[in-house]
Amino acid sequence: MAASSSLGRVFTLCRQFQNVLRLSVSKIQNPTVNSNKWPSHLFRENTVLVQSFWSSPIQSVAQCRALHTTISRRGLDEFFDAPENWGETTVKSGAPWTAKQLRTKSSEDLHKLWYVLLKEKNMLLTLEQESKRQRVSMPSPERLRKIERSMIRLETVVNERETALRLLQTGQEKGRPGDWRRNIFGYVYWYRFKEHPIPWYMNRRYKRRRFYTPSFVQPHIRLRIEKILREKARKKNQRKESMEKLQEKFPTMKVPAS
Amino acid sequence: MPVTRILHPIYQLGNPQLRIFRPNWFLTLVRPGREQPPDTVQFRIPMDMTKCDVKNYLEKIYNVPVGVVRTRIQFGSNKKRNHLNQKVKKPDYKVAYIQLAQGQTFTFPDIFPEKDRTPEEGSMEEMQEKFMEDEKQRQKGDPRRGGVTEWFGL
Repeated sequence: MAASSSLGRVFTLCRQFQNVLRLSVSKIQNPTVNSNKWPSHLFRENTVLVQSFWSSPIQSVAQCRALHTTISRRGLDEFFDAPENWGETTVKSGAPWTAKQLRTKSSEDLHKLWYVLLKEKNMLLTLEQESKRQRVSMPSPERLRKIERSMIRLETVVNERETALRLLQTGQEKGRPGDWRRNIFGYVYWYRFKEHPIPWYMNRRYKRRRFYTPSFVQPHIRLRIEKILREKARKKNQRKESMEKLQEKFPTMKVPAS
Repeated sequence: MPVTRILHPIYQLGNPQLRIFRPNWFLTLVRPGREQPPDTVQFRIPMDMTKCDVKNYLEKIYNVPVGVVRTRIQFGSNKKRNHLNQKVKKPDYKVAYIQLAQGQTFTFPDIFPEKDRTPEEGSMEEMQEKFMEDEKQRQKGDPRRGGVTEWFGL
């Protein structure tokens, strides 16, 4: 455990978190249980802090200010891995967070986890650049990909929640309002609304845009549809003919379904 | 990378100003190529990050006292040619020089120190190494032949 990387620790936080949850449940029943079960010398400072605020979910409202920051006094040293990992060829790390795991977390926890991942990614990028510069292989480069994946998943989970809330509150599915419009060539597309500092009737550039199809375009639209249809038919015929030729050459050939 | 294109509301004078939840900016601390003063740290930052952003980022997330931030944009070379003799451009990036406040200094540590790696007694790696050495010895051939190939001679 002590030799495992900070990333490993970040990912093992998941397991710890589940332990904490289990503990906190027991804490409600029996308040004398010592929640600080894990020896703190095993973790880095920020990890300990993260752990300490996670181990007290009951008082989370009272200590909101203290909880909000993942303060560590290491400052710029957080851009580097733990010193015991310097010079190692491989560094152990856990699995990335899955969306399923992230869905069980509260929004506040996700917000904190984002910063944990952000710092870890900064650390890895620094490590990668330095290894490129010194022309040595980066120790365990798969960690970058893992971090990236967990960040994408976190983002999707947060987006899911936002969408659910918006649907409840406003009935809108999309965060950015929009509407179906047609341009002068008769194409219909999703127009996304944008904020403007002036109303639309004063906006000369907006008024220049044409969101309608003039009547003289109608024959061209017909021609366009005709072109597409002809092309489709031509392709179909070509295929059919080539199949017939092949059938003539190889009578025992199986005919594909489509 | 996280791909949420956030559309910020247009700028309005006065507070509260825009806040960023879940920033997706990533800084890379690099070893300075030219020698810098001891209180200066060099970063590679994303193109759309400004000096104020860098200051806020380091102060709020990393708790580092930042004095002054200077930035420049490094032109990525486009001299290289590919196999079709087309120019290949390396991406540009922004470099930030950060002067720390409160008399703090920073030196880039040596994060790839030489470590002695002698494998443990009786471990798999040791056996592997021994085996490889034996194989090499066997491949070498007869030293009495003085480097003459095997197929030459009677």
